[in-house]
Amino acid sequence: MPDRPLTRICYVEDDADIQRIVRLSLERIGKMTVEVVGDPTAAIDAMLAFRPDLVMLDWMMPVLDGPALFRQMKQRPETSALPVVFITAKAAQRDLDELLALGAAGTISKPFSPKDLPEQLRAIWSKLP
Amino acid sequence: MNNTTAATASEIRDRADPRQVLADRVAQLYRQMPLAIGATFVAGAVATFELQGRWLKELVLLWWAIVVVFTAAASLLLFAYRRSADKAGTAHQWLRWLAIAALGNGSSWGLAGGVFFRSLSDEQQVFLAFLFAGMASVGIPVYAASWPIFALYAAGILGPFFYVLATFGNRLFVEIALLVPVFYAINVAVAYRLTQVFDSGYRLRHAYGRLTEDYSVLNQRLQGQLVELGEARRQVEASGRKLALFAERSPIVVLELDPQGTVNRVNHATEILFGYAAAELEGASVKRLVRPEYQPDFDRQWAQLVSTRQSMTGLKIRTPRRDGIDLICEWTVTPLVNTEGNLLSVIAQGRDITAQLEAERMKKEFTSTLSHELRTPLTSIIGSLQLVNSGVLGEIDKDVADLTQVAERNGQRLLDLINDILDIEKIESGKLTLAPEQIRVEELVREAMVLNKGFGDRFKVRFEIAGEAPDREVRGDRKRLLQVMTNLLSNAAKFSPEGSAVEVTITDNGANLRIGVHDRGTGIPENFRGRIFGRFTQADSATNRQKGGTGLGLAICKRLIEMMQGHIGFEDRAGGGSTFWFDLPTQTQ
Repeated sequence: MPDRPLTRICYVEDDADIQRIVRLSLERIGKMTVEVVGDPTAAIDAMLAFRPDLVMLDWMMPVLDGPALFRQMKQRPETSALPVVFITAKAAQRDLDELLALGAAGTISKPFSPKDLPEQLRAIWSKLP
Repeated sequence: MNNTTAATASEIRDRADPRQVLADRVAQLYRQMPLAIGATFVAGAVATFELQGRWLKELVLLWWAIVVVFTAAASLLLFAYRRSADKAGTAHQWLRWLAIAALGNGSSWGLAGGVFFRSLSDEQQVFLAFLFAGMASVGIPVYAASWPIFALYAAGILGPFFYVLATFGNRLFVEIALLVPVFYAINVAVAYRLTQVFDSGYRLRHAYGRLTEDYSVLNQRLQGQLVELGEARRQVEASGRKLALFAERSPIVVLELDPQGTVNRVNHATEILFGYAAAELEGASVKRLVRPEYQPDFDRQWAQLVSTRQSMTGLKIRTPRRDGIDLICEWTVTPLVNTEGNLLSVIAQGRDITAQLEAERMKKEFTSTLSHELRTPLTSIIGSLQLVNSGVLGEIDKDVADLTQVAERNGQRLLDLINDILDIEKIESGKLTLAPEQIRVEELVREAMVLNKGFGDRFKVRFEIAGEAPDREVRGDRKRLLQVMTNLLSNAAKFSPEGSAVEVTITDNGANLRIGVHDRGTGIPENFRGRIFGRFTQADSATNRQKGGTGLGLAICKRLIEMMQGHIGFEDRAGGGSTFWFDLPTQTQ
């Protein structure tokens, strides 16, 4: 378990409505600082600037989807150690298992409950080494 | 039987029954008797007339009387023979009697020679000698069927005559006497030859008769077999016509191909489906019905078919229709092999599955749309409403809060419905895979009760475990079993009176563990019991609207439990209410 509380989240998501809900949920309920990135190709730069504790990736995004972005992050030493949680509506267990095997910290399936989202993230955070 | 044609006449002769041959010879002898009797009678009368003038009239008449007696006796013998019932069985006996009669007949002439010759005039002697020679000659055809009888007969005539001539004292007569035995011997030899001819003839007749019998038996048998063959052939033709009719009228494409893949025949459905006339396809390679880029695949499969002679099913082949539009057909290909193991032809039956594949593709697309495109906006809707209703955004007016709660609840219901539809679609298309693990049942039940506590609170119903829970494990998919428990608990809560408890029991039945969920509701209506595990079924759609639920929950539960080798069911509960239960095997293979 990391020795500091989870406070800084970077969320990569192309859907503006969901961006707003997640931001409200994490800021108002979870009292966290959130950086939302709508363009996945700009995500790594944003992470380098924001320096989050944890990254949330949407699975389905145009141009660069979540898994591809995750693999790019793994190749960059600055981002390779960041814990990543996937948010996905695509519930194929096999794909999720594959991502977990690649080193994803956890998965949260869509639709998620904004009330419970901060708690779910903290639960994943607490299980990290 | 088969080599009779190659047998020689003598071989065939030897097959005759000797008893039948003898009987035939005796019959022939008796058939000739009227001639002997008539000739004796007529010649006797002439001789009597010629001799009586010169000699003692009484003596000649006495001789005539003897001749008459003999001919009468011979006639009687003939009569008796003709009346005889068993001519063949008694042939030997009739032959002996005939020999006696012939000897008697001959001797009567011999008597005439011995008694009368010496005292006759020269002319009369010539007459008598001529008569003897004539009578002896007549004996040949009469007794030809038995040369010993002829020998006896002729000896009876010529013996005394020889003696009389030899002792006459006349040199000419002595010389004639010396010729008599020669004449006798020649006649007997002729009779012997004739007897042999008769014998051989009769033997052949009987042998051929027997062959004919054999042939007629064989013929009858062949006839019978021909009738059976004819019947079998008619049946084969009839079933052939029936089969041809099946193929011809079948809505399925049927092709008959030779081992090289040339089309021999096609049915009507083939013409309709592919747009070619039968004459265009027949005689050409079947590869016309395979898109060029798939022909190497086709060649490989055809080679496999020809070498293994095993029928193949489920072959999907893309065929360009005559108008250029591609069709996909699923084929069953059956080689026809004769008893010698030669490949005669190949029957190919095809079904157009183009529309079916298209429907499957659309269904998949729809499912994918449902799972992503519908869930994404719902995520926003439900998420927003949850945030509003949670109060973190600040206090809102009570009437507004009521409406946003209605909106959130119905959004959730829509999401449940989508999830259930996706689940049932996944289960029914066989795409749902389970992740089985060992599960402690009591833990699972407690987890489900915690998860559904909120739902129970809404209906003011509490969940509790009743009785002792056995410490046993089952093998199953934890997430899916929780889904089943959630369905059963939420159903029970929905239909329970406020303030009551929904009891959960775990019972050890040895090979099975039974989990029961007992409510104190109104029970299951009679007309709903048969279809309670069907799709989109709810006892009362008003309840549905009021309390939620998709009508798919129990259908999903049943399929999930059955995928885990379990059973699900329900029964009335003593004292009112219902029990829903499912059994899971404790031992897994």
